[in-house]
Amino acid sequence: MSPNALSLNLIELGHFAAILAFVLAIVQGLTPIVARGLHRPQLASLTGNLAVAVFVLTSIGGATIIYSFLTNNFSVLVVASHSNTHMPLFYKVAALWGGHRGSLYLWIWILTLFTMVLAFDGQTRYPERLPVILAVQGWLVAGFFGLSLFLSSPFVRLFPVPLQGADLDPLLQNPGMVMHPPMLYMGYVGFSVPFAFAMAALITRWKSELWIGLIRRWALIAWGFLTLGIVLGAWWSYYVLGWGGYWAWDPVENASFMPWLVGTALIHSITVQERRRMLHTWNIFLVITTFSLSLLGTFLVRSGVLSSVHAFTVSPGQGSYILAFMTVTLAISFGIFLARGRFQEAEETLASPMSRESLFVWNNVVFTTAAACVLLGTLYPLAINALNGSRITVGPPYFNAVMMPIFFVMLLLMAVGPLVPWRKANMIRLRARVLFPAILGLSAGVVMAVLAWPVYWTGPVAVGLVGFVLGTLIVDLARAVQQRRAQHISENVVVATWRTVFGNRRHYGGMIVHLGILMVAVGIVGTGMFRVEKSVVMAPGDVVKIGAQRLQFDGVHDLKGPNYTALQGKLTSLDHGFVLRPERRDYGPQQMTTTVASVNSNLLRDVYVVMGSPVPGKNGTTHYLIQVFINPLVAFLWMGGLTMVFGLGFTLSHRVRRAARATAPEAASAYAK
Amino acid sequence: MTMRRMLLALGLLMLLVPAFGAAPPAAGGPVVHESALTRRELSIARTLRCTVCQNESVADSKAGIAKDMRTLIRQQLVAGKSRKQIVAFFVSRYGDYILLKPRFDLVGTIVWVLPLFLLAVLATSGWLVIRRHSRATEPPPPQLTEEDLARVRAARQQD
Repeated sequence: MSPNALSLNLIELGHFAAILAFVLAIVQGLTPIVARGLHRPQLASLTGNLAVAVFVLTSIGGATIIYSFLTNNFSVLVVASHSNTHMPLFYKVAALWGGHRGSLYLWIWILTLFTMVLAFDGQTRYPERLPVILAVQGWLVAGFFGLSLFLSSPFVRLFPVPLQGADLDPLLQNPGMVMHPPMLYMGYVGFSVPFAFAMAALITRWKSELWIGLIRRWALIAWGFLTLGIVLGAWWSYYVLGWGGYWAWDPVENASFMPWLVGTALIHSITVQERRRMLHTWNIFLVITTFSLSLLGTFLVRSGVLSSVHAFTVSPGQGSYILAFMTVTLAISFGIFLARGRFQEAEETLASPMSRESLFVWNNVVFTTAAACVLLGTLYPLAINALNGSRITVGPPYFNAVMMPIFFVMLLLMAVGPLVPWRKANMIRLRARVLFPAILGLSAGVVMAVLAWPVYWTGPVAVGLVGFVLGTLIVDLARAVQQRRAQHISENVVVATWRTVFGNRRHYGGMIVHLGILMVAVGIVGTGMFRVEKSVVMAPGDVVKIGAQRLQFDGVHDLKGPNYTALQGKLTSLDHGFVLRPERRDYGPQQMTTTVASVNSNLLRDVYVVMGSPVPGKNGTTHYLIQVFINPLVAFLWMGGLTMVFGLGFTLSHRVRRAARATAPEAASAYAK
Repeated sequence: MTMRRMLLALGLLMLLVPAFGAAPPAAGGPVVHESALTRRELSIARTLRCTVCQNESVADSKAGIAKDMRTLIRQQLVAGKSRKQIVAFFVSRYGDYILLKPRFDLVGTIVWVLPLFLLAVLATSGWLVIRRHSRATEPPPPQLTEEDLARVRAARQQD
């Protein structure tokens, strides 16, 4: 049988597997209830097996869709509408999440993967509660499968079969876009696990101090993926969309930013509960809110209520389904929370308003305020439209103005927080610790104000705060190293620093993440305050001067890519000799011409060039509209993103070792029995 | 010692910056300048929303209508209209929808004031949480007997 004929049949097998997975997910959701009803608690452990089965079946479905893409099976609607025979292999696989149907399926696939991992994770560590947790996950899987299979199926067939498929949107044919959605989904879906824990805990009256430590890792992992997804999205926006920026406060960007903000509050407040047994109820609230915002994000992207670069075209039925699903989920979860949330309370007292734990409370206040403001700005136009029918826009200028002060407070808390001890701060000692960072911050701010005068007030303040945070990070580490060397006199500075950092990975991982945030802040300040932009019409031979750069336009030539033709311009830097090659790509008659920016980066600045449409010149020559940007310090954004992910990995590596050590005696005792 | 290390680190950092300050001799063609008109046109276009696009400004958008709108702005600038007049023209055609930054009218002011309100509410509740928790009585400090104190003293002396 030819691979194509095989593919024709396989897709139906995949469809069948997906329907079976949907049914089994419902069974998974019902099992603990039935087990309880029949008084046969051992039945409930079936949920683990079901979770594995659901994942395997969903994978079979996903594999057949990917196989259809690889074999150009245009009888499948998603293949015909997002892929064609000319497309590179890499993008054929990625085309799975290039459209609404496929990306929803990927969402579910990842959800079933997380559920299965959870089933294995919980088998030995929390077997009594696991069935209920898995049941919650099962209902989520079933809910999304319902949408996928009945309203937005990736298995829909076409007849007559087209000979050639349409293309994947050219904007999506980029390595950043290939990785961005899966990472983001891993983040969104990852927060479903803490959510399932919270629900199971509320239903079975499981004290949160017994499980909050268990969700910390899940929350951190989800947060890490979400961070990576957001950074990749910004990277894609910067390199592909060709507008010289990386964050547009687009509704869908906001939809990913809100769970990130609340998730950030959550991972901090979990620490408080672990260390000081406080904020139990609040943590459950944050867990539910984080996942709800993930759901809201999905709703906004897929329902078509908001216009956005990312929105998919959808039928009205899907919007209603998601709205109903979201409402039911929210109503049930917050209902259970209100009914059962209080019993968790067994709080320790706060020794002093000037302590680490109260600063964590302020962290939570600031991050929830930020998320609430983003939510407000995103939904306000919808609300106004529903109320009196008028249409208004809440755009980037609004968000920049509102978020800037909040962002400053975040930096300030980030600086002071790690220096303040738990329980009660000794103000005299604290003052000594803050002295060096304060001097560093102040001088950085003043230097900046003098060098870049005249400058808007936010510039020096931001730079000063960055200096302040950096100072506190240094002081924090230096103090620990000093203490260590007092105890281990033989160690030199490098060894002592190494051992200090590796001795407390959890703390220093967090500090590395803070350093990453600081680098991102440097990038935001640099591009936000000191960006230069010029838009000129150039003929070959012309020179444009921008900042300290002189760029000469050397003309254009034609180029042929694997599935596009392009007009490539060439600009040479007369000062530094580098060459920029912006393109205008044509992916065939169905698609709009896209521009591909060309960027020369170094640590301090990016020279970013976009070539616009040709303009007829005076004597028969063709001129081109050239847009040049000097974006200072953009490299810090990407380095900061990587640093954050690295720091998170560092923090998590700590727990792996401890867990391994902890299980060793257990295993030994198990054998002894 | 530390100074030398810092300088070394700085030096290494500079290596990452290619060709910093090194200017090869360069001749070049005629220098083209961005016209003041373009600058004003773009600065107005940046505050307006492209009507067919999805949340993009007229300046950033690559859509045909955005191009037409920029041309319109340019024509009006050439005709001697002020920024205010041009924005008012677009608002009269498209309504407030065209403005990326909400206005301070009845509808717009709410969205500007609500963040402050949200902050006030959340900050107050944060403050209440902290106060409630610090008010709760702490357990009394453990009573140490003479024997315990002696032990503590002995341990301290060993250090």
